[in-house]
Amino acid sequence: MKLHLLVTAAAALSAAPLPRGKIPPGKVVLVIQAHHDDHTTDYGMGGLIARLVDSGFEAWFVRASNDEKDGSHGYPHNDMINRRESEEATRILGMKGVHSLNWRNDYMDSIPILELRAQLILLIRRYRPDVVLGHDPWGHYDRNPDHRKVAWALAEASWMAGLANVHPEHLESGLKPHRVPCLFFKARVDYGRGHEPNVAIELNQDQVRRKMRAYSAHRNVYASPAMARAVRQQLAAEGLRIDEIEDMTDEQAAVAFEEWYMEWISRKRGRENGLTFAEVYWFVDEFDHLPGLKSYIESAARGPQ
Amino acid sequence: MRTRAGIGLMAAVLAGVLAPADPLGAAENKKLLIITADAGDYILCAGGTIAGMIEQGASAHLVRVTNDDKDSWNLSPEETAQRTRQQSERAAKILGIAKVTSLGYRAGELGGVSPTELRDRLMFYIRLDRPDVLIIPNPYAHYVEVLDRFYTGQAGEEARRAAALENFQPPFAIAGLSTHITPELYYYAQPVDPRRREPESTPTFAPQPKQIDIGAQFDKKVRAAQALETIHFSLAMRIKERIESTGRRLPLLDTVDRAAVNKLVEINVGKLAQIAAEGTSLRRAEEFLYAGVEYQIPAKYRK
Repeated sequence: MKLHLLVTAAAALSAAPLPRGKIPPGKVVLVIQAHHDDHTTDYGMGGLIARLVDSGFEAWFVRASNDEKDGSHGYPHNDMINRRESEEATRILGMKGVHSLNWRNDYMDSIPILELRAQLILLIRRYRPDVVLGHDPWGHYDRNPDHRKVAWALAEASWMAGLANVHPEHLESGLKPHRVPCLFFKARVDYGRGHEPNVAIELNQDQVRRKMRAYSAHRNVYASPAMARAVRQQLAAEGLRIDEIEDMTDEQAAVAFEEWYMEWISRKRGRENGLTFAEVYWFVDEFDHLPGLKSYIESAARGPQ
Repeated sequence: MRTRAGIGLMAAVLAGVLAPADPLGAAENKKLLIITADAGDYILCAGGTIAGMIEQGASAHLVRVTNDDKDSWNLSPEETAQRTRQQSERAAKILGIAKVTSLGYRAGELGGVSPTELRDRLMFYIRLDRPDVLIIPNPYAHYVEVLDRFYTGQAGEEARRAAALENFQPPFAIAGLSTHITPELYYYAQPVDPRRREPESTPTFAPQPKQIDIGAQFDKKVRAAQALETIHFSLAMRIKERIESTGRRLPLLDTVDRAAVNKLVEINVGKLAQIAAEGTSLRRAEEFLYAGVEYQIPAKYRK
């Protein structure tokens, strides 16, 4: 009975709106992801990036793989096109630029995690981010090996970059240790129990607009005209029509579909959390790694923050 | 061969079933094998329970997997490793742990170590010590940022299984290290996983939450944690650095001396004990996922 009540209570809690997430104080955000489009996917993080930029953050995107598999143009072409589109998406979001680590796309399961982590530690020390955005290392059922690998490397790099005895050679170049104080992790919320967001980040209309455009900038992998043609045929077969796309080319219609989808998901996450538009994340605050000291530090510290 | 090993496993497990009930108070003569990734984690998560079992007559061996060479303030990795090793041995002694073994892997680098190598080194000690209780980091605990704890927990869990099966590492048997089943398993982790007390999706073979009163061992646990001076001085300095870099001040750390660090440790240990006691009538506790004999035999056989 007790167990039943607990389970019922847990289910009720999980349906409750998430606390509204705040933008942490700071100046620099690093977005560290596996692929060219991971900073703009439907389950994050384009809206949050746009909001951070609006709050005055300087934002950089670190793309770990070379994305050679993603698209229909063959390896080297995909790599180049995806990189270009990734740069366009970061521009739309107001980011400063893209750093590509160029690990082989979809083969990252077998790369040495310590090598990847060392690269991230170096970049963290170079940019000294106040906030890092990445995949949730504890998310379940993510079939993509690159997501898993980068998430795990990031999970450790974010705090190990703060220890002088980790890669001490970096310090010889003038870099200093830097622990990332705040992290936002994303993962698909429909992939099992692993990822349970703890904050909803409110977005405004313009941030959603930029998120939509950044997503659809990845024409090599999204917004296929063939998809638009198929939708038109399906609509026609059912005697339906969408006025907005009647005068559009298939390419324009495909972009419109992708952008509507991004607006829909942002609106859905907003509605679930009592907001107009939102994205949801697992947020790690500056002292969350010290569960025994967090509340003490928060209550005893004096001064702003 | 597999059948023989299986029969051996079942026989040993059934022997466990027939043994008397096994509350913590009946820890007399039990052998504990404690596995930790780093010097501090097992103390913060399980130090009170270990001390309590030892007070009841258990004997304990700690296997520390890394050399903790990274976590210090203005000390070289070598100096850090040496100091923390000594302090770790002192801390273990405070808890009553008779033997400490340091495997010496570099801290934070277990991601580059062969999981099989680590498993087999832990399995060696399981077969050598033949413990009744194995205490390991919980590799399923989410949001534990030190992944060495994940790698160590996973290796420890696999070592427990492999130690019971004779086809793992045949040279061990040749050297006289015969198979061994450890009846009890405690998984520990700091309380950062919001779902740590939720029931698993299936109750079959799922370890159960267990909260243990450490009221009587609290002071000992605090002293053991305080013995890790290098790590905790580093922690205090890092907190101070972060606080001050954001225009704040933590009066306790205005001067980071031994008294301030010890107070910080006491606050940390106290709050962790309070968090672990939540949902019980206890004042100070530690929380585990516990896989005892019942875990190993499905309910239909136990009936």
